[in-house]
Amino acid sequence: MKKAKSKRVIPGFGLSLGVTLSILSIVVLIPLVSLVIYTAQMDLGDIIETITRPRVLASFKVSFLTALTASLINAVMGVILAWVLVRYQFPGKRILDGMIELPFALPTAVAGISLTALTTDTGLIGSVFDKIGIKIAYTKIGITVALIFIGIPFVVRAVQPILEKLDSSYEEAAGMLGANRKKIFRKIILPEIFPAALTGFGLALGRCIGEYGSVVFIAGNMPYETEITPLIIMSELQEYDYASATAIALVMLIFSFAILFAVNLAQARNSRIINGGSK
Amino acid sequence: MKNEGSKIVKWLLIGISLLFAFLFLLLPLFTVISEALRNGWAAYKEAVTDEYTISAIWLTVEATVIAVLINTIFGLFAAWSVTKFYFRGKKLMTTMIDIPVTVSPIIAGLIFLLTFGRQSPIYPYLQAANIQIVFAVPGIVLATVFVTFPFISRELIPVLESQGTDEEEAAALMGASGLTIFRRVTFPHIKWAFLYGIVLCAARAMGEFGAVSVLSGHLRGKTNTLPLHVEILFNEFRYVPAFAVSSILVMMAVVILIIRSVVEYRGKGAE
Amino acid sequence: MYVELKNINKSFGDFKASDNISFGIEKGKLIGLLGPSGSGKTTILRMIAGLETPDSGEIIIDGKVINNIPASKREIGFVFQNYALFRYMTVYENIAFGLRVRKNDKKSIDKRVKELINLVGLEGMEKRYPSQLSGGQKQRVAFARALAPNPQLLLLDEPFAAIDAKVRQELRSWLKEMILKLGVTSIFVTHDQDEAIEVADELIITNNGKIEQTGTPLEIYQNPETAFTASFFGQTSIIGDYTRFKTFSKVENASSAIVRPEFIKITKKGEVQKFRSSAVSGIVERTLFRGSNIELTVRVGDVLLTARRALDEPIISVGETVDVFIYRLFVTVGNKARIIENESLRENSIVI
Repeated sequence: MKKAKSKRVIPGFGLSLGVTLSILSIVVLIPLVSLVIYTAQMDLGDIIETITRPRVLASFKVSFLTALTASLINAVMGVILAWVLVRYQFPGKRILDGMIELPFALPTAVAGISLTALTTDTGLIGSVFDKIGIKIAYTKIGITVALIFIGIPFVVRAVQPILEKLDSSYEEAAGMLGANRKKIFRKIILPEIFPAALTGFGLALGRCIGEYGSVVFIAGNMPYETEITPLIIMSELQEYDYASATAIALVMLIFSFAILFAVNLAQARNSRIINGGSK
Repeated sequence: MKNEGSKIVKWLLIGISLLFAFLFLLLPLFTVISEALRNGWAAYKEAVTDEYTISAIWLTVEATVIAVLINTIFGLFAAWSVTKFYFRGKKLMTTMIDIPVTVSPIIAGLIFLLTFGRQSPIYPYLQAANIQIVFAVPGIVLATVFVTFPFISRELIPVLESQGTDEEEAAALMGASGLTIFRRVTFPHIKWAFLYGIVLCAARAMGEFGAVSVLSGHLRGKTNTLPLHVEILFNEFRYVPAFAVSSILVMMAVVILIIRSVVEYRGKGAE
Repeated sequence: MYVELKNINKSFGDFKASDNISFGIEKGKLIGLLGPSGSGKTTILRMIAGLETPDSGEIIIDGKVINNIPASKREIGFVFQNYALFRYMTVYENIAFGLRVRKNDKKSIDKRVKELINLVGLEGMEKRYPSQLSGGQKQRVAFARALAPNPQLLLLDEPFAAIDAKVRQELRSWLKEMILKLGVTSIFVTHDQDEAIEVADELIITNNGKIEQTGTPLEIYQNPETAFTASFFGQTSIIGDYTRFKTFSKVENASSAIVRPEFIKITKKGEVQKFRSSAVSGIVERTLFRGSNIELTVRVGDVLLTARRALDEPIISVGETVDVFIYRLFVTVGNKARIIENESLRENSIVI
């Protein structure tokens, strides 16, 4: 039998895969492998000792709780913004639509110092809240505010295309059958956009957990109180304690891969329902 | 179904949205500008034309241009191989491409530190060849490439996937070369997505903070990008210069947003 | 033989798309590859074109084994199912593309493209983009584009599938005429029997990755060799035990029999029926006006038969008991089909 090597009709397979894999190796693969090698040389006892230090554990709690709160608020606000942008006509709509992307375009450090300046007790917003005894900057509320800023485009951009595709004939059909608006929203629209909102929520959560630039300025970085995990890693690195930094990073990596996995699962389920079949 | 109740809901939701956008998006922008101009035009000008600021601008531009170039090359080849051919391990490959955006920027910096830093097995060789990566410009560029890695391929792959391979097969059957097929048949489909990807990539590259912060030696005038320069100024309580430098980045962000809107609008119109 | 396939095998994972396929095609013929979806007909076409590679076996065109010749060098024109027109090129550019990549000179390209545009009747549409064309016009462009470099062999994958029913009829005769005029050897794939019978000079019937039968449409229709081809054309009825119908000789190991509507004669009890003694009784369960005839569903015991009656014959109503006479039927033994005639027909001819 002749060699059964399949010839490809479209040219450029070898070249394109070669270039792709080379760049992928240099930029992603080799660094990841070196992380794995470095981890393999570490002592499990040391890793556990590092990640169970009270200060580290407290940082996990701060990071997780603020990211979760911010992402939940974003999930709700994101759906409202997407709804408003898709369904309503009003002056300034295009500008609002363009502005949603601002957190993607504005450097995080700039967002960080700007939000800090706004929310300290002498700032424009902070002074108002200070009168009723609420401090924003240098507290967990401040961290959450920064994370809301960072995460909002994820939910809006996940929900928007689904709403745009949602055929209004569904709603009309439901309306003809006598369903009221509340019911239509709950039974027809919500099930359609829920998976997308969940995806956006997951992406925002993943991003918020690892966020550094916008948070360091507003957080105040008080150990046990407002110290986020990325900052702990950063300070370990500044002390050249790479082993501790890597140990803490591993926990974060596992967590973000778990989120990524869950998002993919939700997306796969969603597309199966919409498209049918096993694809 | 246009009754009064739905109108109230409509304006209530629009109101909430606009308030949110004002507080969380618009106000921070204005704050940057107003803080930057707090001590007047002269102070602003002095901060912006400071020699360290100028060198930070150049380094940021350099890192951004290189990141866009590398990710463009990668994005085009990766999108071509992923969407036009079947091969084993494709799923694994696309997952690998997405990894950089799922890890925290700090961790991105950390893994490059582990790869090229002092405790790395290849450090002695780099040292012997007199190549400095960590705490130097190459490290900053690498970190920037890493955090923006999938930005272009991610825009191209869905477009090419939905376009299928029929047109390319037809062109190949007629004997067209790979380059001809790409230029004449494929590229018109991805033109706008490609531009869009470049814009997103540039936006993220110029603003990257965490990963660059880990790998930079924070040497003023040498390894300081604009965002790092902002951090140093802010931490030294030099608020006006910090916001003045920030305003440069704000202007770049606004320009990018405008280009993005135009590209998206044109792209939709072309379909 | 101009095109020849020898012992071709091709699998996609567990799915066997081609199972030891062999056939030959004469020069200048218009061949239809007919089979249900998933029968492997498109795979055969794509292998000839070079879009897929067979796992084993040889593909020969004009005496040369072409297995290792890349698709682009095979001089084959291919019309894709969805036409695969270049969406960002005009009609003119689409047709010229194959000539331009060959680096022909501008003048000869222009001449050829204009010639083809005239041939397919798309004058005045040169500057349009595919999105501005109707389904039928797109197909004409695809046809012209495939023909532009003067291919020796033209392959068409479901050429009429994407066109609505009314235009399809018109395009069928147009395409047949065109191919006849040009004399280019052509193979088209279809799952539509009517289309295949009407357009093709010869048919290749595929099923389950195998070839069931080859021949002219008439041959295959009249003498199906396999159970599959016997049941593939028309509204056939399956009879488990055909010996319940009188005066058929018994065939050893027969598994079942297949009857086409035109093999059955239904008569009212009072009507003249020459073979009444060989007929059996049945009850009409359904009648359906079909425009040119009336379709009857008749139950004989546990068998349901589909038959037809002309409009000028006396009307039969549902529930009526009628005489059912079968002229001939296909008896299947295993996978093979065999035609047997009703014996009373022979006796009759002896008597006369």
